[in-house]
Amino acid sequence: MSTLLYLIQKEFIQIRRNSFLPKLIFGFPIVIMCVMPWVMNMEIKNVVVEVVDNDHSQLSSQLIQKIRHSNYFVFAGTKPSYDTALKDIEHSKADVVLVIPQGYEKNGEQVMIAANAVNGTKGAMGSAYLTQIVNSTNASQSATCSTAKTQKLSLGCKLQTLYLYNKNLNYKVFMIPALFAVVIMLMCGFLPTLNIVSEKEAGTIEQINVTPVKKWQFIIAKIIPYWLIAFFIVSVCLVLSWAIYGIVCKGSIWLIYLLVMLLALVFSSFGLIVSNYSDNMQQAIFVMWFFVVILLLLSGLFTPTRSMPDWAYMSTYINPMHYFIDAMRTVFVRGGGLANVSTQISALAIIGCLMAFWAVGSYKKNA
Amino acid sequence: MKAIEVKNINKSYGKVEALKNVSFDIEQGAIYGIIGPDGAGKTSLFRLIATLLLQDSGQITVEGFDTVRQMQHIRKRLGYMPGKFSLYQDLTIEENLEFFATLFGTTVEAGYDSIKAIYSQIERFKNRRAGALSGGMKQKLALCCALIHSPSILLLDEPTTGVDPVSRKEFWDLLQTLKSRNITIVAATPYLDEIRRCEKVLFLDKGEVKGIGTPDEILTRFADIFNPEGLPENESKLNGTENVIEVKNLVKAFGSFHAVDDISFSVRKGEIFGFLGANGAGKTTAMRMLTGLSQPTSGTGTVVGFDISTEHEKIKKNIGYMSQRFSLYEDLTVEENIRLFGGIYGMTKQAIKEKTEKLLWQLNFTEHRQDLVSSLPLGWKQKLAFSVSIFHEPKVVFLDEPTGGVDPATRRQFWELIYQAAQKGITVFVTTHYMDEAEYCDRISIMVDGKIKAIGSPKELKEQFHKKDMDEVFTYLARTATRQDN
Amino acid sequence: MTTFASFVLKETKHILRDKRTMLILFGMPIALMLLFGYAVTNDVKNVRVVAVCSQTDHLTEQALVRLSASEYFTLVKTVFTPQEAEQYIRSQKADMAIVFTTDFASKKEGLQFIVDASDPNMAEQWTAYATSILLNPQATVNTKMLYNHQMRSAFNFVPAIMGMLLMLVCAMMTSVSIVREKEKGTMEVLLVSPVKPLMIIISKAIPYLVLSFVILIIILLMATFVLDVPVAGSIVWILLVSLIYILLALSLGLLISNIAKTQLVALLMSAMVLLMPIVMLSGMMFPIESMPKILQYVSAVIPPKYYIQAMRKLMIMGVGITDVLTEVGILSAMTLALLGIALAKFNKRLE
Repeated sequence: MSTLLYLIQKEFIQIRRNSFLPKLIFGFPIVIMCVMPWVMNMEIKNVVVEVVDNDHSQLSSQLIQKIRHSNYFVFAGTKPSYDTALKDIEHSKADVVLVIPQGYEKNGEQVMIAANAVNGTKGAMGSAYLTQIVNSTNASQSATCSTAKTQKLSLGCKLQTLYLYNKNLNYKVFMIPALFAVVIMLMCGFLPTLNIVSEKEAGTIEQINVTPVKKWQFIIAKIIPYWLIAFFIVSVCLVLSWAIYGIVCKGSIWLIYLLVMLLALVFSSFGLIVSNYSDNMQQAIFVMWFFVVILLLLSGLFTPTRSMPDWAYMSTYINPMHYFIDAMRTVFVRGGGLANVSTQISALAIIGCLMAFWAVGSYKKNA
Repeated sequence: MKAIEVKNINKSYGKVEALKNVSFDIEQGAIYGIIGPDGAGKTSLFRLIATLLLQDSGQITVEGFDTVRQMQHIRKRLGYMPGKFSLYQDLTIEENLEFFATLFGTTVEAGYDSIKAIYSQIERFKNRRAGALSGGMKQKLALCCALIHSPSILLLDEPTTGVDPVSRKEFWDLLQTLKSRNITIVAATPYLDEIRRCEKVLFLDKGEVKGIGTPDEILTRFADIFNPEGLPENESKLNGTENVIEVKNLVKAFGSFHAVDDISFSVRKGEIFGFLGANGAGKTTAMRMLTGLSQPTSGTGTVVGFDISTEHEKIKKNIGYMSQRFSLYEDLTVEENIRLFGGIYGMTKQAIKEKTEKLLWQLNFTEHRQDLVSSLPLGWKQKLAFSVSIFHEPKVVFLDEPTGGVDPATRRQFWELIYQAAQKGITVFVTTHYMDEAEYCDRISIMVDGKIKAIGSPKELKEQFHKKDMDEVFTYLARTATRQDN
Repeated sequence: MTTFASFVLKETKHILRDKRTMLILFGMPIALMLLFGYAVTNDVKNVRVVAVCSQTDHLTEQALVRLSASEYFTLVKTVFTPQEAEQYIRSQKADMAIVFTTDFASKKEGLQFIVDASDPNMAEQWTAYATSILLNPQATVNTKMLYNHQMRSAFNFVPAIMGMLLMLVCAMMTSVSIVREKEKGTMEVLLVSPVKPLMIIISKAIPYLVLSFVILIIILLMATFVLDVPVAGSIVWILLVSLIYILLALSLGLLISNIAKTQLVALLMSAMVLLMPIVMLSGMMFPIESMPKILQYVSAVIPPKYYIQAMRKLMIMGVGITDVLTEVGILSAMTLALLGIALAKFNKRLE
């Protein structure tokens, strides 16, 4: 036992002595929490709309007024023809073009929306919003001159939506728990990876290998410091998300800490596995980076896992990041309790233990 | 015209003055030695001459060209082998050589004669990657790469560190033939026999020139540094005939290559056992099996009574080890390193504390206990590493070329430490390329081509082969090696 | 010339012999393309719905049938109170709930969506889809999605992947390979040799240049044949603009190698200075327009931003080169500036 303590003490001294690591451990979470929520914002704002009005009627100008006053759109003016408007799209001066056909007011002709869909989300949401505006304009028009269409539409007017957990549809509420995951993953994944490889390159690992240190002692001594670092980082993140964005954890803080500890175990073990198999730093970093990107993209951090095709969805069953993000959002945003996240916690614990065993097993003291 | 003229050179890095008012000149076609302890400023001097660094003041001319203004002219005339010269690990021997040949605008064929004596020893492995070579073989390849072209001035910064005595001789013979082609050679070296082969020697210490003269003049003037008295005969009392290490028919094969080929020997308790051999003879591989770092392919062995293939973790409790590469944590202080390794071997806090005080006092390190190991000079590091490796009072300590690159005075101090350890009953198992050190051992074995060719006390071996010193015995045996030729 | 050739050959061998790095280098574009092409999508699909109705009548039933018949929604459960539904959402067994009031059938009103808005974008889209299915409003609008009819995210990401990978391969790998020679001491020998320092650098850059072109071509081929992302613009211009960008990345790598002393520092610098800003601020994943002003200014100096913009226009929208002159101009200017600084800063000596 005391051997373990000496090894842990050594790890801490080495981290503290390093000219770069302490700054990184303090600075990184702070910078990430201060900058990233502003960046990782997929809220669609300031969609630039141009209108081609071929109707020049009261209704069409009413529609244009509505667009002009919407917070959602930036109105870039009316254009004489669809072609000129299209040119603006090509020059990225506009995102969406609304074409109001002749006879829009009188005959109820269909309007046309053309959206730049290179960014699919932006195109879809921009046109959806615009459609809503068009629909409501049409509805108010229909209400005055009653036509057969009204009956169905009246239903629409009474429809209400209740947004749970995030009334203001604040994108930061969605992203901040995910950022916790990213920070933990980067810090607890990459630092241990570099750690063993640098011992290999310095030759000190050989010295350890001829001592009676047990394999598990060596590995545990490498993992524990990163556990504490994870603990520290998550505390900083929690405080910052409250101080800067006013976003607080709805569920139990202790559950968050439990989850973070498990994730730190998974990734620090994973980092050690990678470094056990690598010969030099470049290799270790590249391999690590490869897995990190894939795990992140398939975790549901940015896009819902349910939208994935089956093969990709299957992979989420073994993706620790997926369990973590799922559980994190449940606890942090939805205010779920232990019962709501028990599956994720046990999955993370199992993956973490497997990883730790693998890390011990792949460390060779006697080849 | 002088080949190299150095006038009043000063160079400092921040507050550290590396060179202080250094002046000397070198005749065309001379073999010029630069000697001095670690940190004397030798490497800085080489780099200044090679136009890699700029001096703070003073002037250096190489064949009449100024190093500051006429860099390109000098670089065309210069061959340089830096101290930590490293090959491209992922290229094969042949590819490395070819690359360096083209780099200097020549071909392997054209330069073959000038490297033949050394290259023929490693040519058999020419398709092996440099990363897979043993330390000494790498150094030999590096020598070949440096000599493949014939520059008019050759700068060699400790070119033979870690190279066995026979190859070192061959290397210096080569340099002698280069001299006949009027090539100026400037070499730094810690070996006495090499110093003697220079025509003129510059002794540099703490960035200052302490003396210039013929090797004999310098060696007599600074005898206390370069030629310390030999150690008194070791009066170790052999405690009976109990064997601490016993090895039978040990083999380690990498594919079809038998690095260690059927060796058997035993080491008695309290002995200083010298484990000699040329580069690539299999010393390090054998030692790795004994210390439980690698598994033998076949054969048996016991260390302190435990089997090396099944009970290696038990062995590790009872041995100390100091490797070729420096093996303490550079980013920990002296005291922290001692504490860490004491703790690893399960010593109590109290015991660690008491022994640390004693050790620091013995080494005269008390003032430096809080210094980072990285800030210590090489010789100190080696002494500290050795002390740490016997800190837990192991039954056997394994030392793999512990004194590589260390100046003679420090080496002597190091051997005093080894004697002290032996007197405490610790068995010492040591490899070395210094034949004067071999004479200090109680018994030695000489490995050639993976086999043990001779074993016995230095006296016995000298008598057996009718040679006057160990150097000659070793040279005789190593020259019988056939591995390079088949 | 033979010296030069042997330099390039040596560098190529270094790259080819490091099998694991090679695997990653070629595995990365393929994996990224597949992931972004198929797995990372915002499509509304398999949304789990809980229906809340105290009594079923033909109208609620009809609505529910219509909902589950669509490919977007799956009905997982019918419960009686909104509280129960909320529990379902909280434990991640459902994404949204549809509440019918007791007298829904008679009044034809009183419909409420309860949506899990932890992902606001998706929440809005789900509501929009559900509304249109349940209410089936007549087609008053004819929507046309330009350039990307199915709104596939791959269209958006292919240029971004190019921007990221080319930067990574060129800048990171070049800088690390130069710094490695410094660290191992071989740089000293190279510098002292009669070979011109500039040539050492050029010969180091060439294999990486070739490598990035291979990766570029893999990406383009995969985009066309696997992901069905058409290369709408002129291939010549695409390659030419990419060349400028690759040169820019190489100069950045050179610049880093001048500053960094060890491989680790070079790696960390490439990761911190290059990778993070590229992924975050270049508009690759997160739209620049949605960022605060100050970050928008920062993103203006990030080269990949212009490359990705230019590629989106050239490749996906298929506009002519005249429409991306601004981006190309900025890129070229940045390349010249960086290359100039890198060469001026290049150390012919050790310090």
